[in-house]
Amino acid sequence: MIQTSTKDLHDSGFEKVLNFFRKRSMWMLHYCTGCGAMELPPTMTTRWDMERFGIGPMATPRQADLLLITGYLSIKSLKRVIRTYEQMQDPKWVIGFGSCTINGGIYYDSYTVINRLSDYIPVDLTIEGCMPRPEAIMTGFQTLMDAIQKGEAVGYKKYKENYEWYKKNQDSVLGRTEPVFTSSEVKK
Amino acid sequence: MNQKEIIELIDNKFGIVKSNIYDEYQLSVVVKKENIFAALALMQLNDFKELSILTAVDWFDRNVFEVVYILFSYTHNQQLILKTEIERDNPEIVSVMKLWEVAETYERDVHEFFGIKFLGNPSLKPFFLHNWLDMPPMRKDFKTQQYSDKVFGKTKEEREK
Ligand code: SF4
Repeated sequence: MIQTSTKDLHDSGFEKVLNFFRKRSMWMLHYCTGCGAMELPPTMTTRWDMERFGIGPMATPRQADLLLITGYLSIKSLKRVIRTYEQMQDPKWVIGFGSCTINGGIYYDSYTVINRLSDYIPVDLTIEGCMPRPEAIMTGFQTLMDAIQKGEAVGYKKYKENYEWYKKNQDSVLGRTEPVFTSSEVKK
Repeated sequence: MNQKEIIELIDNKFGIVKSNIYDEYQLSVVVKKENIFAALALMQLNDFKELSILTAVDWFDRNVFEVVYILFSYTHNQQLILKTEIERDNPEIVSVMKLWEVAETYERDVHEFFGIKFLGNPSLKPFFLHNWLDMPPMRKDFKTQQYSDKVFGKTKEEREK
């Protein structure tokens, strides 16, 4: 069980002043293994131009503060995502992009695609849709900015507080030592 | 060589089980398991130089795996689908690495996803799957929904209990 909920961790005081500046200058790292990544080029470039909100693409995790997961993650790529996330510096935010990050989407019964991203890393915002249109992405960004301003987007604190819970979930898919089905279940 | 001649050639040498002509450019021939290597070698000599893909199909009801080799010839402008059936229990077949070296990768892939052993292929190690300990996932008796429920959780509430 998650020990500390987002509510207990809300930013207050001086953090809120910082948040005002943080929300207007976000550098986004996009992890594009999912098909939803297709909607990003128009979002970034002239057609929708996300730079007018102060969001720019960044090439390395260490200088980014917004991690965009664009869709399904296989177990192998989940490993890389966790690594990427842990390399990023605080404060950092995660957006789950597309149905696949929420409940597995059309891969809900796949043997190698995870179902809920928020079990493994803290997700501050999800944008539903398969795939979400640039309009939805822009609305999502603005919702996140509002949440940052209000001090509600504190996933990174949640990760630290509940590290054990997240680690347990991560290990349950990454570090399995026994088969999932026992031999009696296989026979049936 | 036209399609009839291709079928005849294989039939005269090995006796084919079944053949099918799909269209002008595509035909399939089923041969017995013990003849597959020789049939492939024969076709390679007859200008079917390219192995486009090697894969397998699980015919669960008939309890067989069908191993499929798709060959292509630029000379005859034909796509030849050579197939053979093997037992589903303890499936084994000879590797075709001696004919096409690329088969190494295809066979490794089929081995991982169907559990078919290719005799003579030295690299049947894990390939795509991460830390996989269950039965090969492309077999029809692998229950993918149940697997997903168990590993990735059904609903949040259920798991937190
Ligand atoms: S939600 Fe849809 S568009 Fe996005 S990664 Fe999944 S399948 Fe692809």
